[in-house]
Amino acid sequence: MTEKHEHTAERHLRKKHLMLDPLPRGQMNAMVMESMHATSWKFWVVFAVLAAITAWGLFYSWGVLMLDGLGMAGVNRPSYWGIFLVNTVFWIGISHAGTFISAILRVFKAEFRRPFTRAAELMTTFGLIQAGFSILMHMGRVWLAYWLLPYPNQRQLWPNVHSPLTWDLLAITTYLLASTMYLFLPLIPDLAMARDRSTGWRKTFYKILALGFRGTEGEWTHLRTAMNIFAFAIIPVMFSVHTIVSWDFAMATRPGWSSTVFGPYFVIGALHSGMGAVVVVLAIVRATMKHMDYFIRTEHFEAIGKLMLIISMGWGYFFFNDYIVQWYGGDVWTKQLLHWHEAGPLGWMWFAMLIFNVLIPWLVLWNRTWRSNPWIMLTVGLLINVGMWLERYIIIPISLTINRMPFTWRMYEPGIEIPLGIGTLAFFILLYLIASRLIPLVPVWEVQEGQMAHSLKKVGRETVVTVAELE
Amino acid sequence: MKPIDLSLFGAKGAIVEAAEGKWGMAIDQDLCTGCQACVVACAMENNVPFVGEIDAGYGRSMHWIRIERFWEGEYPEIRMTPYRPMLCQQCGNAPCEPVCPAYATVHSQSERINLQVYNRCVGTRYCANNCPYQVRSFNWRDYTDERVNDAIATLKNQYNPDVTVRRRGVMEKCTFCIQRIHRAQDRAKAEGREVQDGEFAPACAQACPADAIVFGRIDDLRSRVSRLIRQKHGVHYLEELGTQPRVTYLVGGAS
Amino acid sequence: MSNTISRRDFLKLAGLGAATSAVLTGCGPAAKYVTRQPYFDMPEYTYHGESTYYATTCRECAAGCGLIVRTFQGRAIKVEGNPAHPVNRGKTCARGQATLQGLYNPDRIPGPIRQGRAGALSRQVMTWDEALDILAKLFQNTPADQMAFLLGPAPDHLYDLVVELAAHLGGPAPIRFGALSLFEGRTTLIQAAQELFGQAALPFFDLASADLVFSFGANFLETWISPVSYTRGLSTMRKGRDGRRGILVQFEARMSQTASVADEWIPIRLGSEGLVIAALARLVAEVQGRPADSFQEVTPDEAATAADIPPEMLYHLADRLATAARPLVLVGGSALAHRNGLQVAKAALALNALLGNVGREGGVFLSPPAPDGAPHSRLASVQEMAAFVQRLASGTVKTLFIHGVNPLFELPASLGLAEALKNVETIVSFATFPDETALQADYIFPDHHGLESFGYQRVMAGAKEAALSGLQPVVSPFHDTRATVDLLLAALAQAGRPLPYSDEFAFIQSKIRPLMTLAGGSFTAPEEHTFMALFQQHGGWWTLNDMRQQPSSPRGRIAVAMAAPEDGEFYLLPFVSPVLGEAGANKPWLQETPDPTTTVMWNTWVEINPKTAKKLGIKNDEVVRLIGPAGAIEVPVYVYPAIRPDTLAVPFGQGHTAYGRFAAGRGANPINLLLPILNEAGDLAFADVKVRLEKTGRKYSLSRLESRIGVYGEGLEEAH
Repeated sequence: MTEKHEHTAERHLRKKHLMLDPLPRGQMNAMVMESMHATSWKFWVVFAVLAAITAWGLFYSWGVLMLDGLGMAGVNRPSYWGIFLVNTVFWIGISHAGTFISAILRVFKAEFRRPFTRAAELMTTFGLIQAGFSILMHMGRVWLAYWLLPYPNQRQLWPNVHSPLTWDLLAITTYLLASTMYLFLPLIPDLAMARDRSTGWRKTFYKILALGFRGTEGEWTHLRTAMNIFAFAIIPVMFSVHTIVSWDFAMATRPGWSSTVFGPYFVIGALHSGMGAVVVVLAIVRATMKHMDYFIRTEHFEAIGKLMLIISMGWGYFFFNDYIVQWYGGDVWTKQLLHWHEAGPLGWMWFAMLIFNVLIPWLVLWNRTWRSNPWIMLTVGLLINVGMWLERYIIIPISLTINRMPFTWRMYEPGIEIPLGIGTLAFFILLYLIASRLIPLVPVWEVQEGQMAHSLKKVGRETVVTVAELE
Repeated sequence: MKPIDLSLFGAKGAIVEAAEGKWGMAIDQDLCTGCQACVVACAMENNVPFVGEIDAGYGRSMHWIRIERFWEGEYPEIRMTPYRPMLCQQCGNAPCEPVCPAYATVHSQSERINLQVYNRCVGTRYCANNCPYQVRSFNWRDYTDERVNDAIATLKNQYNPDVTVRRRGVMEKCTFCIQRIHRAQDRAKAEGREVQDGEFAPACAQACPADAIVFGRIDDLRSRVSRLIRQKHGVHYLEELGTQPRVTYLVGGAS
Repeated sequence: MSNTISRRDFLKLAGLGAATSAVLTGCGPAAKYVTRQPYFDMPEYTYHGESTYYATTCRECAAGCGLIVRTFQGRAIKVEGNPAHPVNRGKTCARGQATLQGLYNPDRIPGPIRQGRAGALSRQVMTWDEALDILAKLFQNTPADQMAFLLGPAPDHLYDLVVELAAHLGGPAPIRFGALSLFEGRTTLIQAAQELFGQAALPFFDLASADLVFSFGANFLETWISPVSYTRGLSTMRKGRDGRRGILVQFEARMSQTASVADEWIPIRLGSEGLVIAALARLVAEVQGRPADSFQEVTPDEAATAADIPPEMLYHLADRLATAARPLVLVGGSALAHRNGLQVAKAALALNALLGNVGREGGVFLSPPAPDGAPHSRLASVQEMAAFVQRLASGTVKTLFIHGVNPLFELPASLGLAEALKNVETIVSFATFPDETALQADYIFPDHHGLESFGYQRVMAGAKEAALSGLQPVVSPFHDTRATVDLLLAALAQAGRPLPYSDEFAFIQSKIRPLMTLAGGSFTAPEEHTFMALFQQHGGWWTLNDMRQQPSSPRGRIAVAMAAPEDGEFYLLPFVSPVLGEAGANKPWLQETPDPTTTVMWNTWVEINPKTAKKLGIKNDEVVRLIGPAGAIEVPVYVYPAIRPDTLAVPFGQGHTAYGRFAAGRGANPINLLLPILNEAGDLAFADVKVRLEKTGRKYSLSRLESRIGVYGEGLEEAH
């Protein structure tokens, strides 16, 4: 670095932008490795607590649920679906952000994405695992869940392809497989890096996972091609998944559900909660892991903040669209349902949803200073997730209360769903904790690649950023 | 009536009957006294379990028929709407059928009624959500297991061997007493004749002291049920959804 | 029956008169019981996969509906109505359907027990030999006049035997009681018929052929006298004759199930029924231009004020009544449960006479006599029960035998029966279930369940035909129980004072024998054994002709006035739960069957008019204390939109302290609020009671089938 030529503007740019603030590769690699290794006692305390919550909330409670039946949960007539499906939709929604950031932003070459594609992509996989758990909990006879798979059997019984649930299963499985592979591909060079800097069992672990990657030009070419293919291919899969999830509702003959706009409404909702979750993860990672304040900077929060603002507006648009279409339809049951949403005993949820999903993001994210503050972003992210969870709660158990048989209308009161929901959340965080110790949460090569492409040039008296086309 | 080749209308789960159904029911709301005899008769015939006070009050009762009633006006000008026994309408185009991922709720091609295949059900409860009549009941617990409900140890002696006893996690609903349909058909076949109108009835129609429930072939214009449907003011609830219900409600008195 | 017809002949007989296409079987003493047996060793008339059907009689109430019970491999699996039976014509009510839950009830008394008046069911099991010894000793050592029998409304053959037994030993006749008769006002109706028509018979109201029915207080679609038969009557009336649909107008302070089915419900004040009937009578007489006789003193306007209805309404109603082709005025239940109940009953019957429908199609008849000529035994009124309790309290009864009734639950506690029982040396109960009274017995010698029993029941009201409905066991006894008749006969023999019957079946046969010589019956047979077999197979014997009796022209004066209840805040209207009846609480399926009008399951509630509730600041599910003249109960509130604002209503049927796991500790028993205030006929004036209401501050969530959101708009207040 040429300190004597550096003036204020340049120093400012370097401090602000990771891409303009390169460190020697060796040092950066060491920083990432250290962030993985530096495990304090606090980590183990949190780990133990989460493991205990997972064991109780997820596995023990699930055992109870399976043995005693769904009577342990709050589902009833007419709310045959409850928090299990709320959580399923919620976790699938969360998982969307990973793909959005790592695939769409990659395709569109949004440079700010580089340091956190991995953290986001992990969310896809881990979120889908929770979604899978949640939908299995929901089943009356989960031990027969394999009947939903098209496997050859003596009686030639196949799943019913007319059922949106069958499509759903197919979509989620495809998405889980695709996103896991898409998580793995960019991980290979980093695993190789870790392999070269580890000893003992870690070395073996990375050795196996790195698939013998050595960093030759040929390997890089193949890897880039594969990543490109996946990045493009996974985008339609991502859109399809939540659209198909929305069809579980939209295809039904229920007031409030059979709405043609549910597909995009669900997708944008998924992104909304997903981006909120990404921001939360980034804020926590930055605050708790070593050297992460180098990789994750306020510029990233600022950039994500803008995205969140746009998504929030999109969500608001689709919400309004859905509402007006249903309201204008004038169906007597739908009218009752809309009234129930707003003025029913759980009307506060409806207002909280709008406040958390629209009002707060709009008020906060306009302001550059605020959206650059990790703690404010963390709060907004959390609130958006609460709001989006409430949105699913309103769509599922609250809407199920109202049907065309008023004699059966009845409220839903959750039971064992609560420990199970807490269990999935704990397990989600636990998976992150484990991942943070085992794999580099920051894709080092991607950051280094970006830094190589970026440079500062002086044009006259002005310092400008230049970016070279790499791929 | 010309037999209809139902295979023309798509795969098993999505049969839409192009013609009238086969079995049907007429329920005269003017005659119904709300006495609940049908409800109990159905439970006794079909091994429907009881769920206890708390679950029953939480919308988990397992009745295959429920008798609905509403109020109009305020005291003293108050009126109770006629009792409305609500049971599976055996839709010709049933919303419950296509949504089941496991083919557990299917259309019987021979009897043209909706059947629930208990041992195929995995309990997604999608069918119940999609039923506009909300007449499906789910086994929220092992109500029929004597380890859960010790009274079953003796009460199980009354179980009807023609009807499967359901376990937890399985959806169930009115079957138009398919076991009785089959018994009558088998007997008729053995005797080399057709099943006659009124030869048998589902448990509800058989018990109804007010003779408000009449069951029979709706594709036979001479049957009692067909005549009733034509005679009186028949209503198909929620038929605007295209469900083609096979239960006709007769509203208003004789005229 | 002896062995003169073989089992194979039996099967041949089975084809006869099978109204359902199933096999109906009667079974004689040779095959006294069908046994539950493994598949490889079945009775010869049982086929694999085929059911055997037995005709018998329902014992859930005393109406005597004919049943056909489907059995399979020796187990009863379904109760169906007997299509040939004159009372129910193949139909059943909810209680009848749930009979099997009594048969297979987990809380049945498994065998003879030395109960020793323990509060809970004792575990001291005895053998039947010991039981016989005890009974024989009781018969030997108790002077006949210090012995008392308290029997329930069913079965009649046991009653007949006990009548004979008492006469044989020289003791007082047995006394019969049932809570349903208390709530029906049966004694009052019979007394009214006696005073008006000179014949002590239960009036038979011919609903089926009427075209305008005014019903006062009679819950004839629920539990009143013969509900299945009356439901059929209403149904026939509604289907209409000559295309004209009959109209039902129900006068009641609360919209009961019957009122909810009625075309019009007129909420008159409790106690004003007599005045309204009399006013209607006067107005009808005026329209018809006839003298109104004893009704002349009633002013319609005053009656309307007393009833809290507009006078024009009364005029209009009278007009309709006077111009109807076949009008009918029906009275019973709460309308008779006033101090002047007898006058109300007489006024109603006299109004019918004024309308000219006495003894006419669609009018009032007197019930057919029993086919065997025996008088219908009348159930004791509360007055007689009070006298009986006095007798017990005085200590003059050494031994009390109780069968088929649970007076500790069914009688107001204020009669003091619980105390009186302490003065009885020995109490023997023949209860099938561990009810409150059985637990206060010294011994329980359990009788079979109705479906395991032989017997007969005389049809009192509910059929045009005179009928003797037959009972036969459809399954072998499930527990170590013994038929009470058999037990009594054996004990008498052992005590050295035998009656001339070898066993229960022989006794029944001796009672049925006279029917063989009667003409015009549902079947005939050349000899006794075939006759008995057919009796079992058909589920009884009945005439084919209309045997209703023509009442003679009415006489006597009637003076009605407003009934004046005690002081209190609210009128109390206890009513029998339409689903549970008086003894259905131990059957889980009946518990879970929603009450028709409120859809409440598994509990007791108090119905309060919404305006009253609002005024008092009471909401649904709030537990309130009702304080009556004789006691207090705590019940959750159901804000019921169709009840008079000055009236509270509580169902009777729950509030057991015993009676098995499904009944005990559930709900409250409103009968314990009542003092033994009687009407002139000795029936309990249960509707002449006023109660106070107190809040307890507690809540209890009533289990309802209905949605409070969808039906009452809770949470949807601003929706339109």
